[in-house]
Amino acid sequence: MTLPREKVDVVIVGSGAAGAHFAARLSQAGQRVAVLEAGPEIKTEQMVSSMLWARRLKWKGAPVLETGPEPVGYVFNAGWGVGGASIHHYAVWPRMHENDFRVRSLYGRGLDWPISYADLRPYYDRVQKECGISGDAKAEVWRPAGEPYPMGPVASANQGRIVGKGFESLGMKVAPLPMAIATRTYDGRPSCIWDGWCDAGCPTGALSNALSVHWPKALAAGATLHPNTQVVRVLTESKGTRASGVEVVTAKGERVRIMADAVVLAANTIQNARILLASESSHHPHGLGNASGTLGQFVTSHLAAPIFGLHPDKTNPWFGAFGGQFLNQEHYDQKEKFSGQGAFGSYQWMIAQAVKPNGLLGIAPSRPDIRGAALKRFMERSTEHMITMTGVVEDLPIAENRVTLSQQKDAWGVPLATVQHASSPESLALWKVAVDEGLRVFRAAGADDVWNAPKAPMHIMGGTIMGKGAGDSVANRYGAVHEVPNLVLGGASLFPTSGGVNPTFTIHALASMACDQLT
Amino acid sequence: MKATRREILYAGGIGLLSFTLGGAKVELSPRDAREAGVKPRVLLSNEEETLAALGDRIVPGSRESGVSVYVDHQLAVSFEECMLMIQYLGVAPPFTSFYRSGLSSVNSVARARHGQPFAELTDANAEALIEDMASEKLEDWEGPPQGLFYFVIRNDACDVQYGTQEGFVRLNVPYAAHILPPSEWG
Ligand SMILES: Cc1cc2nc3c(=O)[nH]c(=O)nc-3n(C[C@H](O)[C@H](O)[C@H](O)COP(=O)(O)OP(=O)(O)OC[C@H]3O[C@@H](n4cnc5c(N)ncnc54)[C@H](O)[C@@H]3O)c2cc1C
Ligand code: SF4
Repeated sequence: MTLPREKVDVVIVGSGAAGAHFAARLSQAGQRVAVLEAGPEIKTEQMVSSMLWARRLKWKGAPVLETGPEPVGYVFNAGWGVGGASIHHYAVWPRMHENDFRVRSLYGRGLDWPISYADLRPYYDRVQKECGISGDAKAEVWRPAGEPYPMGPVASANQGRIVGKGFESLGMKVAPLPMAIATRTYDGRPSCIWDGWCDAGCPTGALSNALSVHWPKALAAGATLHPNTQVVRVLTESKGTRASGVEVVTAKGERVRIMADAVVLAANTIQNARILLASESSHHPHGLGNASGTLGQFVTSHLAAPIFGLHPDKTNPWFGAFGGQFLNQEHYDQKEKFSGQGAFGSYQWMIAQAVKPNGLLGIAPSRPDIRGAALKRFMERSTEHMITMTGVVEDLPIAENRVTLSQQKDAWGVPLATVQHASSPESLALWKVAVDEGLRVFRAAGADDVWNAPKAPMHIMGGTIMGKGAGDSVANRYGAVHEVPNLVLGGASLFPTSGGVNPTFTIHALASMACDQLT
Repeated sequence: MKATRREILYAGGIGLLSFTLGGAKVELSPRDAREAGVKPRVLLSNEEETLAALGDRIVPGSRESGVSVYVDHQLAVSFEECMLMIQYLGVAPPFTSFYRSGLSSVNSVARARHGQPFAELTDANAEALIEDMASEKLEDWEGPPQGLFYFVIRNDACDVQYGTQEGFVRLNVPYAAHILPPSEWG
């Protein structure tokens, strides 16, 4: 598809979860939409069921330089090519809670969002119908108010039931994990068959992502999609108060300008900040949208707390969806519950994930100390008896955790992004609280061997946060950049706080709210 | 038989890799390929041997499953095609120097301790060296961080031993693919 020569209504940067959502809604509203994607087209047949082949879907763009004691793990946590990370994400889609939006006002730490849960609730309700979420809203006793899910819960099996008993014996509840995975034919998409290959991409369309849900709608409505087209900067009109388009580098290395009435930047967390920083001009000498000085700041990344165990009963841990079977958000609404241990924030458990023998989150790397003949025994037992769950632990926003531009440049002369990330002592303490609880639950479930993996980064948020005004943030409640209102941001880079839940449902809810403004 | 050109094309038979030897396409196990004189593309022969020996000590069976052939192949392809787990671990591509300096350090330590390359160490001496590397206790180590190097090699070896269709069969785990890999590793 040749790049548009005429001015379009909207140019969208990035074709992942957020970009595809904007493309579908805006083109369906009759706007002329062009989407620019740095990576290649990804075809269904590239979603090869293999933890080795899965690595070809991860970030393959310009390196992101990582510093600090808790690096954000960019390559694992980002996607590349049409569909972005959405095509190999695990589709665990819980809502953020009311207190996640008011962390500063309620607790005097972190930041507030410029919106409340009540503002976002109708969009969560709308998105869950559009994308199809399965779950049991009533069983999720911690869930904030909202419509019930349009589909019944994901399959549960031995592994989930065994861990569930562990929670129950400690007086805690579990509920089916809310997942953007079809449990019956939904909007033409087939039901999941529980083979656990989600990390390698779900080629059947059972899992809701840009390729299965939003791209078909966007293309049918006339949006044009341009892979292998890297956006290097956002252009502004002479006064610097309106975006006029973007400059791109094509696969052949040509520099081209694409003009538009509005620009949507949805290139994922770190690249959104990088592109804005690289779009400096005489009107915006420190980067576009950086009047507050917060551009690049408040990068957050959930601390994953992976817990493992071996249970005397057969658990068949390879069965199910990669994201898991059950959810626990027992203490979610009490961010100060563990303040005695120096902890602050919320966390949830994703319980009974399907595990493969290999892969970063697989059986083998969970016990790197085992080798030789003992490894074979461990692998043989684990593939029948392992139990797993992962805590998603809130990361307090800190200004110093930020994206800056490096002196090093990519092949097109754009400075590389450097990301500094160090978790706050309160977040690290909360991770410890979660790990201790997780190990207790597994012992209570009857596991004869329990252990945890070291903390690891999961999801990347912040860097171009939304807020009340140009003095404290980059964008407003709709993602529009304060100083350049026809430049709209999509994705988790807008999140002022991380909460302790996976971000993609909220990314879609924000995009849906922004689209109402743009149409 | 002399290799004129080598390609890993299609592991049609479980555990077999295709090579072009003397102009003809043949399917060989990694061990047979080595015996047939197939040369690594990126690693030097002694590096490949050290990698195979180290991988096999950590994950028994991984030499036969082709750990050194796998790593050598992945180092030869572009980053876009690369399947090595190291890409998740904060190491920027290209990865050859990471492997090369780690393997060379393993051999230097083996020589300093026992006067032999790693591949010729006794079981006890090899295990002691690996234990020290995994717990970052090797003095005179000049490669990448020792614990990381151990973790990377262990994962590569696990990938070929347990992460392929044959590996799943070994563990009695249903592979249940949506799309079967066109080859084990690219
Ligand atoms: C392994 C894994 C598991 C996950 N599981 C979950 C989960 O269970 N639940 C959940 O809520 N979230 C999960 N996530 C996170 C989820 O994938 C992201 O939140 C979501 O994809 C982000 O959407 P996005 O549109 O901001 O970015 P992406 O979906 O990554 O899309 C961004 C796109 O922009 C492109 N791009 C980048 N730079 C440029 C440029 N300069 N020019 C043009 N294009 C560019 C990229 O190539 C990419 O295609 C997971 C992520 C990973 C990696
Ligand atoms: S487990 Fe379900 S969602 Fe995951 S890849 Fe298989 S069919 Fe798709």
